[in-house]
Amino acid sequence: MSRTILQVEDLHTSFYTRAGEVKAVDGVSFHVDEKETFGLVGESACGKTVTGLSLLRLLPEPAGRIVGGKIILNGRNILELSKKEMRAVRGKEISMILQDPMTSLNPVYTVGNQIAESIKLHQGLRDEKVTDEVISALRLLKIPAPESRIRDYPFQMSGGMRQRVVGAIAMSCRPNLLIADEPTTALDATIQAQYIALFQDIQRTTNVGILFITHDFGVVAKMCHRVGVMYAGRIVETATTSKIFKDPRHPYTVALINSVPRLEEKNKRLFSIEGQPPSLLNLPPGCRFAARCDKVMDKCREQQPPEVDIGDGHLVSCWKVK
Amino acid sequence: MVSIIPNVKEKTRKQYTGVSRGTRIMKNLTLILPVMVLTLMVICAIFANLSWLGLPQYGLAPHDPNKTAPRDKFLPPAFIEGGKSDYLLGTDKLGRDILSRVIHGARVSLSVSLLAIFITAGVGTMLGIFSGYVGGRVDGFLMRIVDVALSFPGLLLAMLLAVAVGPGFWTVVFALSVLGWAFYARLVRGESLRIRQSDFVAQARVNGASPFRIMLRHIFPNVVNSLIVLMTLQVGMMILSEAALSYIGIGITAPQASWGSMVSDGRAELDRAWWISTFPGVAIGLVVMSGNFLGDWIRDKLDPRLRQV
Amino acid sequence: MAEVLLEGQNLTKHYPVTKGLLQKTVGWVRAIDGISFTVEQGRTLSLVGESGAGKTTTAKMILLLEKLTSGKILYKGEDLSKFSAARIKSQYRPNVQSVQQNPWSSMNPRMRVRDIVGEPLVVNTKMTKQEIREKVLEILDDVGLKAEHASLYPHEFSGGQRQRIAVARALALNPNMVVLDEPVSALDVSIRAQIMNLLKDLQEQHNLSYLVIAHNLATVRYMSHTVAIMYLGEIVEYGEAEEIFQNPLHPYTKALISASVLVLPEDETEEIQQIILKGEMPSPLNPPPGCRFHTRCNEASAQCSEAVPEMRRVKENHQVKCHHYV
Repeated sequence: MSRTILQVEDLHTSFYTRAGEVKAVDGVSFHVDEKETFGLVGESACGKTVTGLSLLRLLPEPAGRIVGGKIILNGRNILELSKKEMRAVRGKEISMILQDPMTSLNPVYTVGNQIAESIKLHQGLRDEKVTDEVISALRLLKIPAPESRIRDYPFQMSGGMRQRVVGAIAMSCRPNLLIADEPTTALDATIQAQYIALFQDIQRTTNVGILFITHDFGVVAKMCHRVGVMYAGRIVETATTSKIFKDPRHPYTVALINSVPRLEEKNKRLFSIEGQPPSLLNLPPGCRFAARCDKVMDKCREQQPPEVDIGDGHLVSCWKVK
Repeated sequence: MVSIIPNVKEKTRKQYTGVSRGTRIMKNLTLILPVMVLTLMVICAIFANLSWLGLPQYGLAPHDPNKTAPRDKFLPPAFIEGGKSDYLLGTDKLGRDILSRVIHGARVSLSVSLLAIFITAGVGTMLGIFSGYVGGRVDGFLMRIVDVALSFPGLLLAMLLAVAVGPGFWTVVFALSVLGWAFYARLVRGESLRIRQSDFVAQARVNGASPFRIMLRHIFPNVVNSLIVLMTLQVGMMILSEAALSYIGIGITAPQASWGSMVSDGRAELDRAWWISTFPGVAIGLVVMSGNFLGDWIRDKLDPRLRQV
Repeated sequence: MAEVLLEGQNLTKHYPVTKGLLQKTVGWVRAIDGISFTVEQGRTLSLVGESGAGKTTTAKMILLLEKLTSGKILYKGEDLSKFSAARIKSQYRPNVQSVQQNPWSSMNPRMRVRDIVGEPLVVNTKMTKQEIREKVLEILDDVGLKAEHASLYPHEFSGGQRQRIAVARALALNPNMVVLDEPVSALDVSIRAQIMNLLKDLQEQHNLSYLVIAHNLATVRYMSHTVAIMYLGEIVEYGEAEEIFQNPLHPYTKALISASVLVLPEDETEEIQQIILKGEMPSPLNPPPGCRFHTRCNEASAQCSEAVPEMRRVKENHQVKCHHYV
């Protein structure tokens, strides 16, 4: 049994806008172990990115606030840390990779400079030592000829290389937990395959736990050990990746997996989920998927289903599941 | 620090959004005051007298602005010792009523600047959209003209004009317009260039829309936001420029009252009759400030990124 | 075999790279280098490849948004370069419409849905306002939108609904062909299926030809009859969709397919082993000599870096550009 790095319990994050309270994350619980990749899958606006930002406490202030729950990282609740203590945690214990490699690097600094920044901040090393660390971070991400690459500017690199540099910055202090928010979405298919293989390698050598946020089931299948499927601010089903694919229980998970076109099958009409997710401003009292669900019962519209463990950590929130 | 998980019930929404009562009132004041000032000025300009209805004897101005009264010259404002209640803001060296002249001056100053703004915005927008849409050499050529216009000393040009055609209302309008369009052309051209590359313009071309239609129906409505903001900000610029021209004597000519010429008139008497220059000066300041505040407010309103929260 | 609607013959697009004040040409970006394909009536051709492969440039050439450097586009067997401007406007433009990738930017934010969908009709026909209004409602109904949607602005819709509006606009003139540039890649998974099903239904109803630009092979397989795999400005494999997916020949096609298959790591077998290519696509400014793919190819041999492979027909419905299949 490997060590649990991150334990999120009943996290609630809301945005307060003119139109009212937007419950972006509404009672989410999950955990990430050492050497494990936990996937958070869902469609846009389901709250997966907000969950990621909440873990770093980097919500856009003052509109976004964590209003309840616990985030236990390496044994302590980071919601109780001061802002200063939190800064020491970011980059060192948790770090994050953002989606777009084109905008997450600063164009006016060299790649080496940008990696060195976080190393200097957290490790207080002297100059030559810093350079060694920078090179080792680039090497970890398998960037060829790192000694000369550190003097390059981001515009001199291709998209795939840039995304590796972003990865090198995130991994430079060897964090315990890496949050990757759609890191492969902007990349081409063959580059994506390289990137995923690379991260599997990194995980083997550094023991890092990865929270992988994505909408792409193909990437989930290749990358993640366990998956949480999010819908309208809640996790509706959590299970190991193979269970999610082979034995999905929540009707949303089933529908979502069925609506992904498969390369292996052909010409069958695609399964589609009609309608739209509910507005987070005005959530229904019962199950959030009720309005689009094909197995809906009266109870579903009235009461929120509880999360039920059906064995081996397979958690489902659905009244149909006993 | 536990306060990051506050008790939801005890807190009101406003406390969450972090906008305190004070800042909200300030925000509203920066909108209400400018609108009130500008409305007041426009009303003054229109109803200074009703000569446009054939009734020059009625109007907001208590006196004929050009009527001299040698016995009442250099009267201080009514609220100062020695002032007459008949002349609320005092009189100038010819005994003309300052209040009436400020009210009438609004008419001249505002019409000069509004006319100039509409001419410059119209010309600038058309050239800007065209230049940005067509691109290439035409664009290069037009933008060099813009560079010249922007770097040309405006005051010198106005003086040359005043010498050539003589000072007056239309000379001022022309002098303000002849270079002013370049600001609009540059701004709109940039926007036009950006919008031309957008997907919906490509789509319009696929649909077979003509260049004219694309410029009118697709590009123009999308530059209106920036245009309105610039125009509002220019109100202040134009009033100041008109004042400057009149102040150095190449703008609106005596006896017609404009704020700039009034400031100029009172220049020599500043030590003994400060009110002659001060009140038109205050009017200029108020309008310019209101224009800037309103411009900022409109820009914030029209920018979707600033619209949230 | 269906009637050929549009044909590209040896299309080439090179962009000059200029330098200095005098805009001296110092090189050429070979965005498209001699590609040929046919689009048949009522069927779908998909161009597949990664960014920089030249798919979008090809689409733009067909939509006449980019000029050809060389080559010919034949529409119903006639050379487009011989069409007069008036004939392009009256015969070609109305018949070849497009749906773009990004439903957030492909519509003028200042226009109502009614005007967006009606614009092609205003520009190209002499219909009265009333007729246009009726036609617009009819098309909106076709794509699954309601009449009351007509008076809304684009920002009031979700991505999927916006894409429906875009499809409605493309269909307004009853075209023969629609160029679909990544029609679903900006949408959520559950919405993608809705739009793909809609596009297929419309194809059957109106006997439409589609040219689909895509990077996702699974999408392509669902949508297309014919597939062209592009790499660095060239078509490397071309043929019937089923044939290519069952029996891919070019190493690049194999790698793409392997990257798109949905397999769990524990289910990997000898057959469906992940192929991971090395490196990235080189710059089209300076394409490698010989086979353009040899720098990343797992199966490259000596001749690949020297001789340029020819496009060869291996079967009736399958062509490939690789030295290993003679």
